[in-house]
Amino acid sequence: MNVQSKIVKTAAEEALSEHFLNALGSLPGSPAVVQGRDKMFDALMKNGLPTRRVEAWHYTDLRRLLGSVPAGAASEDATLQAGLVENAKVLSILNGQIAEEIDGLPEGVSVSSFKDALADGGADLHFADTELDDAIGQLNGAFVSDGYQIEIAADAEIETPIELQFVQSGEQAHSRTPVVFGENSSATLIERHLASDDAEVLVSSVSHVSVGKGAQARWIIVQAQNEQATHLGQVNIELAEDAKLELYVVNAGGKLVRQEIVADVKGSNADLVLRGVNLLGGNSHTDVTLKLGHNVPNTTSNETFRNVVFDKAKGVFQGQIKVAQIAQKTDAQMACNTLLLSDDADFSAKPELEIFADDVICAHGATVADIDPAHLFYLMARGVSEKSARGLLVKGFVAEVVEDLEDEAIVDALEDIISDWLQKNG
Amino acid sequence: MPAVQETIDQVKQIDVDQYKYGFETEIEVEKAPKGLNEDIIRFISAKKDEPQWMLDWRLAAYERWLTMDEPDWARVYYPKIDFNDIYYYAAPKGQDGPMTLEDVDPELLRTYEKLGIPLSEQEVLAGVKQRKIAVDAVFDSVSVVTTFKEELAKAGVIFMSISEAIREYPELVQKYLGSVVPVTDNYYATLNSAVFTDGSFVFVPKGVRCPMELSTYFRINEENTGQFERTLIIAEDEAYVSYLEGCTAPQRDENQLHAAVVELVTLDDAEIKYSTVQNWYPGDKDGNGGIYNFVTKRGDCRGKNSKISWTQVETGSAITWKYPSCILRGDGSRGEFYSIAVSNGHQQVDSGTKMIHLGKDTSSRIISKGISAGVSQNTYRGQVSAHRKAANARNFTQCDSLLIGDQCGAHTVPYIEAKNASAQFEHEATTSKISEDQLFYCLARGIPEEEAIALIVNGFVKEVIQELPMEFAVEAQKLIGISLEGSVG
Repeated sequence: MNVQSKIVKTAAEEALSEHFLNALGSLPGSPAVVQGRDKMFDALMKNGLPTRRVEAWHYTDLRRLLGSVPAGAASEDATLQAGLVENAKVLSILNGQIAEEIDGLPEGVSVSSFKDALADGGADLHFADTELDDAIGQLNGAFVSDGYQIEIAADAEIETPIELQFVQSGEQAHSRTPVVFGENSSATLIERHLASDDAEVLVSSVSHVSVGKGAQARWIIVQAQNEQATHLGQVNIELAEDAKLELYVVNAGGKLVRQEIVADVKGSNADLVLRGVNLLGGNSHTDVTLKLGHNVPNTTSNETFRNVVFDKAKGVFQGQIKVAQIAQKTDAQMACNTLLLSDDADFSAKPELEIFADDVICAHGATVADIDPAHLFYLMARGVSEKSARGLLVKGFVAEVVEDLEDEAIVDALEDIISDWLQKNG
Repeated sequence: MPAVQETIDQVKQIDVDQYKYGFETEIEVEKAPKGLNEDIIRFISAKKDEPQWMLDWRLAAYERWLTMDEPDWARVYYPKIDFNDIYYYAAPKGQDGPMTLEDVDPELLRTYEKLGIPLSEQEVLAGVKQRKIAVDAVFDSVSVVTTFKEELAKAGVIFMSISEAIREYPELVQKYLGSVVPVTDNYYATLNSAVFTDGSFVFVPKGVRCPMELSTYFRINEENTGQFERTLIIAEDEAYVSYLEGCTAPQRDENQLHAAVVELVTLDDAEIKYSTVQNWYPGDKDGNGGIYNFVTKRGDCRGKNSKISWTQVETGSAITWKYPSCILRGDGSRGEFYSIAVSNGHQQVDSGTKMIHLGKDTSSRIISKGISAGVSQNTYRGQVSAHRKAANARNFTQCDSLLIGDQCGAHTVPYIEAKNASAQFEHEATTSKISEDQLFYCLARGIPEEEAIALIVNGFVKEVIQELPMEFAVEAQKLIGISLEGSVG
């Protein structure tokens, strides 16, 4: 049910409205963009923030969970961190703004600022395809201030990983990242979200990733913000003929996190590989929502998500695979495995198949369980203490997923993030 | 994978055009005026000679219903129902309630004979029919006859129409009615609470194993009539009962509403097996007519180590909206749901189950096979949840769908919610992981994978299927054969 009755505004909604009124004058944008922002914000406020009665937000009642909203921009400066991997070209967004000159790019990569595009009206806020329940698209569209527009030239093979580093030292930031992988190009992009210690932040990040014909793209999302952070992320993906995208998502932080992945497989022989690791602890609430559409014949997708849930954390996985009537010979496989390690934690999964073509292989699996006592016994019988045995098993459970990546440096970096997180929270 | 010819043929046999039960019985009926209001409810209540509390209960439900909205979350689409264009009460003339076989209108008996329902006790006893089975036959709004009542009474089992039970055992009915599906539960359940006309009541006392299978056969005959049945089954400590439900309706161009409520209660160590072969008229090949089957079925495993098992073979109805559920309240209780849902023509099915784990050491199993053909849409929608205190909750869910033709759709919408670390939930929409030990055992002995899987699934569904009457079991087994085919990816 996607209908909500008119309701009294919550504190967060009030704060957003006030912030919107104050900020509208200073946000970049041509008249058309300003009009777009207005529409987006009206659409968001018309029904209020989504509640559990909105099916897409059933397990993440944003209206209830978003208690307060930090207003305006950060006061302190955000500090740029070292790249995730040594050889990466780091492009930073500090507190929602590009703070440095764009230079030293590998050949075949062109980058421009989304702020400029907003100002001259060339920016696409995707208003037309923002759906009713797309609160993230609406919020981001209303407030977006900057971002990198990236284009990988056709046939370019970019060896250097490009890291988009978003660092937030407080308050709010809303960025948008349109990326085009040209025909037959190949490149690796890292989207990394960080926040200064203890700063209460609200970050929204929307990417539009278009993978051209025959292109090989890798997109790695690392969300490792502090325990106060609210992160609303959305990646919109389009895959052309023969295109391949490997998407890795690691969530290792945040208080309230929703990461949406919306993928449209629209070229035949396209292949989407999606791997996710969600490390949940404390009082956090983390939601990964996938909407995957196979819309032409002969395409494949494969998704594996591994979640570990400690303390009083709450985890959500929603995965919808939709196979259109013409999309014969689709092969779509999805798995979501969860280790629920505390009686106060909870995890909800909704793996969904919506199939309109008959000659397909589609499957999903979902499990929720504690550590297998047989595995534990095996290790303990070999003299490993229970604590380290559990540690090993948990690490193995999640790390396995990132090992599919054929880039050792990135695999090591992701494994370090996992180990550090488990060390601190496990 | 695409279906092979044999499967296609088999499904065609149960296609909408092949509906065998579409005839109409010419019989004089008595109807309440069309429409829904307090007077109609008073009329139904008076017809049934009900005590005041029952009428009050109905009126309260009606008042509540007026404030509710029709649910729209299911994946089914149909024109808005005009609830005032329906007859809420229709009974064969002179048939206000069940009577002895000799008094029943022979035309009615012929109807049931044509449907293959054994109403004659002599025939059953003489071994003409294979199995001994007690039947409550509900025709439109009333129960016309209940067989083997005396023999059952000897064993202490109460089996009668709910209208009779309200008169004869008001305390029992009052204690349990609405305790599993509250009056306010959902739109159709609330409507049912206001206007239900008949249905079955079963009470199996402590320690009694019901000596025969019980069965209710629902038949909608009249035009523009809704059927609102209410079934209540109670199994006391250590009791056991197996109950079957069948349903058919004539072939008509109009859509008819069937909104039933079924409530099951098991106390300590009790077990209820509830099997349904739902074969309401599905509409013609262009999607005209057919039954709207909006049903609320729920079982409450109230006692420790109690068990409720739902088996359903769904082949009929234009629209099915049905989620037989188990509330696993008692420690060690167990819920099962085995379903085969076949949709063809323009049928729309949105069905599944809910397993709500509340007690410790509870377990549940869900096996759902959906087969869609024609331009039908078949959705499995299910929920499995373990609450904070449901230590060691276990669930295994398997949903397989088979599509025949590229005009239909098959959908799976499971909701899996775990709030306890010792819960162990497995949800699979593939067959590769089905009890790998057993599979390995078969494979190691040279049985090919597909056959092995057929063997295993048939094996554990069989124990429920074989409880069905012979003709149902054969039909169901055929369907399982189809549903398994092509399930090895």
